[in-house]
Amino acid sequence: MTFDIDFLQRILATIFKAMPLTLLLAFLSCIGASLVGFALETLRRTGRWQGYLLRFVIDALRSTPILVQIYFLYFVLPYYGVVLPGPVIGVLAMSLYYASYLAEVFKAGIDSVPRGQTEAAMAVGLSPLDVTLRVVAPQMLRNIAAPMGNYFVSILKSTPYLAVIGVAEMMGTTLEIASDTFRYAEPMILLGIVFLVLCSIIAWLVRRLEARLMANTRR
Amino acid sequence: MDQTAISINKLNKWYGDFHVLKDIDLQVATGEQVVICGPSGSGKSTLIRCVNRLEAYQDGHIEVMGQEETNLPRLRRQVGMVFQQFNLFPHLTVLRNCTLAMTRALRMDQAEAEETALRMLERVRIREQALKFPTQLSGGQQQRVAIARALCMSPKAMLFDEPTSALDPEMIKEVLDVMADLAQDGMTMICVTHEMGFARQVADRIVFMDAGQVVEVAPPDSFFANPQNLRTRTFLEQIL
Repeated sequence: MTFDIDFLQRILATIFKAMPLTLLLAFLSCIGASLVGFALETLRRTGRWQGYLLRFVIDALRSTPILVQIYFLYFVLPYYGVVLPGPVIGVLAMSLYYASYLAEVFKAGIDSVPRGQTEAAMAVGLSPLDVTLRVVAPQMLRNIAAPMGNYFVSILKSTPYLAVIGVAEMMGTTLEIASDTFRYAEPMILLGIVFLVLCSIIAWLVRRLEARLMANTRR
Repeated sequence: MDQTAISINKLNKWYGDFHVLKDIDLQVATGEQVVICGPSGSGKSTLIRCVNRLEAYQDGHIEVMGQEETNLPRLRRQVGMVFQQFNLFPHLTVLRNCTLAMTRALRMDQAEAEETALRMLERVRIREQALKFPTQLSGGQQQRVAIARALCMSPKAMLFDEPTSALDPEMIKEVLDVMADLAQDGMTMICVTHEMGFARQVADRIVFMDAGQVVEVAPPDSFFANPQNLRTRTFLEQIL
């Protein structure tokens, strides 16, 4: 296998062109998955029946392959008149799938905040929403920054799945070059390296954030 | 002392089959200070936690300022509570610990809330620590902040759940002094404590509980000098 500089440059240009959309999809999915996951876990705790129902929803989302969920949303929603663009389906699918994992992380996080904190917050007359958002959530975050960060990395690494529904993210566009030229080694090696660098940066940012959260709120 | 601040009537509570509180009747007048004592497991803490409904009860009624409020956040704004473990919010400064509920629950603006908070911190003699985080303070200081935080909501009554039990001995006095000041100012108080010196000095009445029942209620003088019930006498012999 000989490395051809022009060819490498062409691949890199393609990857970089698709990078903003890929990062945007991942970013939106991180936010979506966090919000949905936190809502799932908070609501799951509000009562017995909500508990059973949402436990089932969480388990169902977590126990089916993400690829199945992507295809499901892409091909089945239109039957019900809901036709959404590929990138929107992608964010939706990744948000739901990873929400189920993050719900578990939030479960551990909420449990890590001492019961006395919730009681004190209720005792001064805060609403249940304020108890959760102002007292429990900030204390929980520093305990779960690391596992949350891991799932953010996973979300970025899941963007290649969206190639199957024609989203122009890094994997799909790189694959086009590969199949045009029948040369797979260079495109896949470069794509791997780009993901490696991006994921390392996220991991580093999360570690920094974690250190800062720890420093601010000593216990 | 004519108006009843807290009225507990025929209160019963069970944990499963275990009958924790049995037919409790207790009226606390406005401006009155009541100390509840008794052996551990007698239901003292559970009783005052029923008053602000941190504990649910199955039977009976509790009225605060003449009514049984069903909106729990509203009820809890009327009754301040101080916990054994302080339970300050570790991610917020002392000042923000005090202002949080004022700005969020009472919709007060930040400046006004801070002014109130500083006044209450002054009252518990800890104003100079306003910008520190709770973990930078000693136990006694933290508990005084907790008292200030509760006072910020202008409660009609205060509940103290063994406020000095988690403190090192040398810090107990500073907390009791602040509580005695509050009593002096006419705050209605129900205080679960083992500090019999405080009870003797501050309480209008002492309630002795055992096995989920109110066994004896008496003013401090007769409570200590001439306890009527055998269980009260046994308890006092053990602790004094």
